[in-house]
Amino acid sequence: MNTLLKIFSLILLFSSSIFASEGGHHTAVLPEVYMIAPFILLLLMIATGPLFYHHFWEKHYPKIAVFLGLITVVYYLIVLGDYVSLMHTLAEYLSFIALLASLFVASGGILIKVDKKSTPMLNVLILLFGSIIANIIGTTGASMLLIRPFIKVNQGRIKPYHVIFFIFLVSNIGGALTPIGDPPLFLGFLKGIEFFWFIQHVWYIWLPTVILLLIIFYFIDSRNKVEDNSKEYSGKIHVSGTKNFIFLLIILISVFIDPAVMSWVPSLAPLPFGIREIIMFSIVYLSYKTADKEILRANEFDFEPIKEVAYLFVGIFATMIPALQLIAYEANVLGDKLNVSIFYWATGILSGFLDNAPTYLNFLSAELGKFGFDISFKENVHQFAIEYPIYLQAISVAAVFFGALSYIGNGPNFMVKSICERAGIKMPSFFAYMAKYSIPILIPVFTLVWLIFYFGK
Amino acid sequence: MRTLDHVLKNSVIGLHYGNRVILPFECELLKIVVDSSIITDFSSMSEDAEYVINDGFTEIYFHSFESLEEKVTQYENIKLVIVEKGKDLFDFENHRKICLSVKENHKLQIKEIDDETLFVE
Repeated sequence: MNTLLKIFSLILLFSSSIFASEGGHHTAVLPEVYMIAPFILLLLMIATGPLFYHHFWEKHYPKIAVFLGLITVVYYLIVLGDYVSLMHTLAEYLSFIALLASLFVASGGILIKVDKKSTPMLNVLILLFGSIIANIIGTTGASMLLIRPFIKVNQGRIKPYHVIFFIFLVSNIGGALTPIGDPPLFLGFLKGIEFFWFIQHVWYIWLPTVILLLIIFYFIDSRNKVEDNSKEYSGKIHVSGTKNFIFLLIILISVFIDPAVMSWVPSLAPLPFGIREIIMFSIVYLSYKTADKEILRANEFDFEPIKEVAYLFVGIFATMIPALQLIAYEANVLGDKLNVSIFYWATGILSGFLDNAPTYLNFLSAELGKFGFDISFKENVHQFAIEYPIYLQAISVAAVFFGALSYIGNGPNFMVKSICERAGIKMPSFFAYMAKYSIPILIPVFTLVWLIFYFGK
Repeated sequence: MRTLDHVLKNSVIGLHYGNRVILPFECELLKIVVDSSIITDFSSMSEDAEYVINDGFTEIYFHSFESLEEKVTQYENIKLVIVEKGKDLFDFENHRKICLSVKENHKLQIKEIDDETLFVE
């Protein structure tokens, strides 16, 4: 009960004083609690728009997202006089959208044809493969690369649960083993956590979680008996547009082109982007311009899914600044009283609805503060990872795993949904996704993870 | 009266004007996917689309878009599941999947959906 109260108090965000953000980089005045209203309103509209006022939402969502974001921006500029937080957020947003857009466009020029008969076991293998490569090309890259062949293989018997499990595993949970997998882990890497720390400390949670979800998927998929015996299958897998794998490789390498990782990389500060983002946006242009038109046609390539993510997340990134700052403050104030379980659940639940990268950083900062370390110093973070691995493990697992809790928990979730709808698959609404799938399936699994690894700690 | 097979074989084009599509054959519509909109309600109350079967052609009005030319981009298609008029609607063998590409000068290219295109009925 006490634990629940503490988690609840974190989520309710009661605070109103001065705090130090991200380990004391700059001191800012805390926003008023009511300033989380634009964020909540935006989340509510994302959830209800496609359901209750579809046409209005489809036509006006860019304006709504930008308008709500502007409320926060104006408040920070005029009321708080805090442009530093805005610049940090702008830089994070540009980095986020550069990675997503480049992976989206580069993978859109690759066509994978799997001419095999859909079976539950084949689907399990595809999902397992996706979960593994999510650690090599990121959850976004793996999602964009595999969602079309996954739909194609299952064309005769596809149901929403196929896509939902794809989102669970390939777009989220799979990417918990390396900093490339998911953005929060990459931020942790930039702060001083060793590259292979995650695979060493998370694999024994990742593996049973992935296996358990695959077993649940297999059980559900085995009951889907719609079979199409009219077609002959060659059993072959054909990949075209392979030159775009070079672009994917460049994107992956560019992830590390950061002054915090490679000292020779020049910082472009005070510009809100770096060399990495310039490379990624260049890849967007080059991979689109040089793509095989037939492949783009076969993939029905369109910028709309990335445009949707770009507009919605510009609003989400801006409006969530007050929420994240209030959480950071509360996490630091309550740091001493928080245990591993609370860090796990609080990081997880908030990562399901906020951007998991800054959420992770805030809780990492709180954990470091609890043990007298400072997130500003790489040696401190490195030492903390050695001395208190269970704390770091809990927030790393939670930030990545819980991203599957809602459509907005992680960037690729929305993009996968959009691609599926374009293929004619009626996807569940925001609420139905949670009520029918993520809460009944994921919450028990995540609770099991908590009971086995963190309960009482 | 033109049949769908005749249209496909002879590359007969359809037409588009704003939010109106004209198919050069008579058919019942079961499902349309435009962009990320999946349309299955073609009743007169529908906010998405409705269609009218005329003598020799079928008209579709997309209420939610002002211009298909702006909505459907270069590599995108409008995908439909149709049944030619006069054929048994309840026989799945008669459900044909076609895609429409919006071209310049109000032309609409009509093709049968091939194995490469993702489209789930």
